[in-house]
Amino acid sequence: MSKEVKLFLGPNHPGMHGNSSVHLYVEGDTVVRARLVPGFLHRGFEKLMERRGWMQNLALIPRICVPEPDINEAVYAMAVEALSGTEVPERAQWIRMIILELARIASHLMALGGVGGSTGLYTISHWTLADRDRILDIFEKITGARIYHMYIVPGGVRKDLPEGIESEIVEFLDYIESRSDEFENLLLKNRIIRTRTEGLALLTREEALEIGVTGVGLRATGLPYDIRKIDPYAKYDSVVFDVPTATEGDAFARFTLKYYEMKQSIRILRQVIEKMPEGPVNAKISSGSALRWRVPEGTVYTHIESSRGEYGYFVVSDGGEKPYRINVRGASFPQGLYGVERLLAGTRIEDVALWLTTMDFCPPEIDR
Amino acid sequence: MNSMNEILKEVMAISGEFSVKEVTARESIIFVETSRLNAILEILKRKGFSHLSLITGVDRIEDGVFEVFYTLFRWETGEALLVKSSVSRDAPVITTVMHLWPTARFYERDVHEFFGIVFDGNPDLKPLILENWKEIPPMRKDFDPQKYSNEHFPDRHYGSEFLVEGGGENE
Repeated sequence: MSKEVKLFLGPNHPGMHGNSSVHLYVEGDTVVRARLVPGFLHRGFEKLMERRGWMQNLALIPRICVPEPDINEAVYAMAVEALSGTEVPERAQWIRMIILELARIASHLMALGGVGGSTGLYTISHWTLADRDRILDIFEKITGARIYHMYIVPGGVRKDLPEGIESEIVEFLDYIESRSDEFENLLLKNRIIRTRTEGLALLTREEALEIGVTGVGLRATGLPYDIRKIDPYAKYDSVVFDVPTATEGDAFARFTLKYYEMKQSIRILRQVIEKMPEGPVNAKISSGSALRWRVPEGTVYTHIESSRGEYGYFVVSDGGEKPYRINVRGASFPQGLYGVERLLAGTRIEDVALWLTTMDFCPPEIDR
Repeated sequence: MNSMNEILKEVMAISGEFSVKEVTARESIIFVETSRLNAILEILKRKGFSHLSLITGVDRIEDGVFEVFYTLFRWETGEALLVKSSVSRDAPVITTVMHLWPTARFYERDVHEFFGIVFDGNPDLKPLILENWKEIPPMRKDFDPQKYSNEHFPDRHYGSEFLVEGGGENE
């Protein structure tokens, strides 16, 4: 006679990215049912943003997503520009791509470190986080901050790149490419990781489309859907890159794709540095002081491809100095809430953290 | 003419006219009455707008309505469509779209929690994010966060009695 036991994973757990709790109902070592309990990181950003000026909100928005803050700035800026009809200077578009692709590499490195953490191979997370730190050094030189940059602003970017940063970025790209053999041996050819992740957390194409999973989760089922290609923003239509796909749809396929996406990001960054023109880097949204900018009345939804999938902002303006309504579409909302209930059953307890990591589950963007 | 306009024409041929407003080249807003909403969303899903990005609410307090927006996306062409419907603030009830997109269950739960809009047919409208919330739904425009904050978290004066250990008069 088996007995069902309730088990709490989180809100504090090494396999959790930020604070969120999963209630597991287990029989023996196997999960029978699961339910996500979000809300530990609810900070009321959407309400706060209604009380602040368009430019002041820049202090809040990067904090919605901790591992990859820059996507918030970019997608918010794109929404404000779409509402006001502002033309962003070309150089600013290219600089945005540098920031976004560096952020993508940083976020993917962190996610690969998460795979290491969830399998008990902490060498991986030490290596990837050390390499991510080099990106943070570059960010610090460009923006003055390591994590929350507040650099991509409506109308362009805050200021031009510092002199000589291009060579430092190229140096970093060379370095991270020189590490690829080591990463492949450590991650992709690692017997322990393959045994743990192959066949785990299966997501079929039908399930992914039905649930609304985007990003790597969808591409691991064979569909080359990447918003950078499908609905290009910034200057992604002017660079050459591939969208890696796989057909297995398991945990191994998903983080392998992240690794290959990092290589594509490196490819994009090299092209950006070569092609980037000189020129102004920001335009004014409206006249007067940035704190008193008014944005014309309207409703818009903008989205970009984050490291976890479709990340969107729904922005309503009533023509005033403050947004009327902002809603954030976190990339992990579908798989985090519905996916956990629907798909986590049948997983063993020790694999739950790995399931959450490779499904790209990020609580701060669910709670907001 | 782009593919979005063609699809919208086809939908109009089946379900009757509705107003269309272009936001950008790849994004439009359509306004649909609540009674026709589910039928039109069903047709749109069949016609290729198969990805539900977001369900969200907007409180138009001067007009006395809540607007509900369904953001749909078409992977094949990269076009987004915002389907807008509105319900009265006094009796905000709208039919669920769970049968079309199962994840809608949670988007609707989120909108229910923050606006108080009831999604008829959704069995799971329990609180999602907030805990022990006793006020009106917080994203409504008549909710005053400053007042709430002053009532629940008043300013406190931290006198010397808070500094007894480590830094008090013994050192």
